Amino acid sequence: MILNIFSNMILVIGLFFVFLAMLGLARLPDVYNRLHATTKIGTLGAFGVMLSILLKVGFSPMGVKAMTVALFILVTSPVAAHMISRAAHRHGVGLCKESVIDEYGKACNAACPEPEED
Amino acid sequence: MSFMLLEYSLIFMVISFIPCIYRVIKGPTIPDRVVALDAMTTIIVVMLGIYSYVQGSVFFMDVALVLAIISFVGTVTVAKYLDDGVVF
Amino acid sequence: MKRYIAYSAILALVWCFVHGTVNINNFILGLIIAPFVIRPFKTLFNFDKEFSFSNALSKIPAQIKYLYVLIVEIIKANIMVAKIVLQPKIDIKPGIIAVPIDTKTDLGITAIANTITLTPGTLTIDMSDDRCLLYVHAIDATDPEGVAQSIKDDLEKYVLEAFE
Repeated sequence: MILNIFSNMILVIGLFFVFLAMLGLARLPDVYNRLHATTKIGTLGAFGVMLSILLKVGFSPMGVKAMTVALFILVTSPVAAHMISRAAHRHGVGLCKESVIDEYGKACNAACPEPEED
Repeated sequence: MSFMLLEYSLIFMVISFIPCIYRVIKGPTIPDRVVALDAMTTIIVVMLGIYSYVQGSVFFMDVALVLAIISFVGTVTVAKYLDDGVVF
Repeated sequence: MKRYIAYSAILALVWCFVHGTVNINNFILGLIIAPFVIRPFKTLFNFDKEFSFSNALSKIPAQIKYLYVLIVEIIKANIMVAKIVLQPKIDIKPGIIAVPIDTKTDLGITAIANTITLTPGTLTIDMSDDRCLLYVHAIDATDPEGVAQSIKDDLEKYVLEAFE
């Protein structure tokens, strides 16, 4: 009984966090800030929902598979975010206008300066 | 009671598709769209997990696992293509 | 040979989790099939280094402590980003800063990069060519030295203990 209420609570928290991640995807200004929202909040939301399913069914095949999905998302989501942000920066997507500092762009320009037009 | 909560949660997940679709259509650059599609896959994985519990069937969880793997591989592939111009 | 046994045990455990039932039959089946999966991808695992079981086992308490720190940091990160998303008017000062790191091995750098991505307000973008700088996108970049110092104090200590 207590376990059931606890798992329902975790389920509601997880769903709310997934919804917040999508809200952040729509509201934040540029690619890098959107990645902050989807990587952190989306991962914890999915983890919470899968954990609540594990608490509901115990260590049956469904619960163990739910835990596998949650751990897989927890491991791979930072790697995907890292790849796509690096590709975006090299593809030429600039930072939003509120940004205060960009040391990576300076390092890239120092390594391979822009070819001059003639 | 518990089943009602789970079915309402499916409706809530469908509502949270709306910002994703907005970002896929409007997104100014290609990485925006890739991020939005990746987030959509996370929602579908969560929905499949809940649906698996509602139906009492283990096989939807297999679908969720395979979809998570394909989403990761697809995102990395698109990132490599944007970066170098080649996939392999 | 020792590395074959260790990786086979890990892959057999993964097979048990994917199959859904963790018992001795599935574990032995995974242990038999795993070397045929490892052999074609031999270049991905560094076989040329020395490997000992006791060294690997002695790191497990440090790894459990690292996992505890990671969970606490993830929950803090979520509350922070959720607050930013729920503000009526978004007021952030993002930027990309360079953070020096001390870890040298591949596993250590991967662990610290993924940890930085999952912790409050920071996202790893790239590593410099000489493997001593990480470029980190911070959601509040008004104080670059403070961000670098907090990463060094809060996270890198545990990663160095757990994976080096």
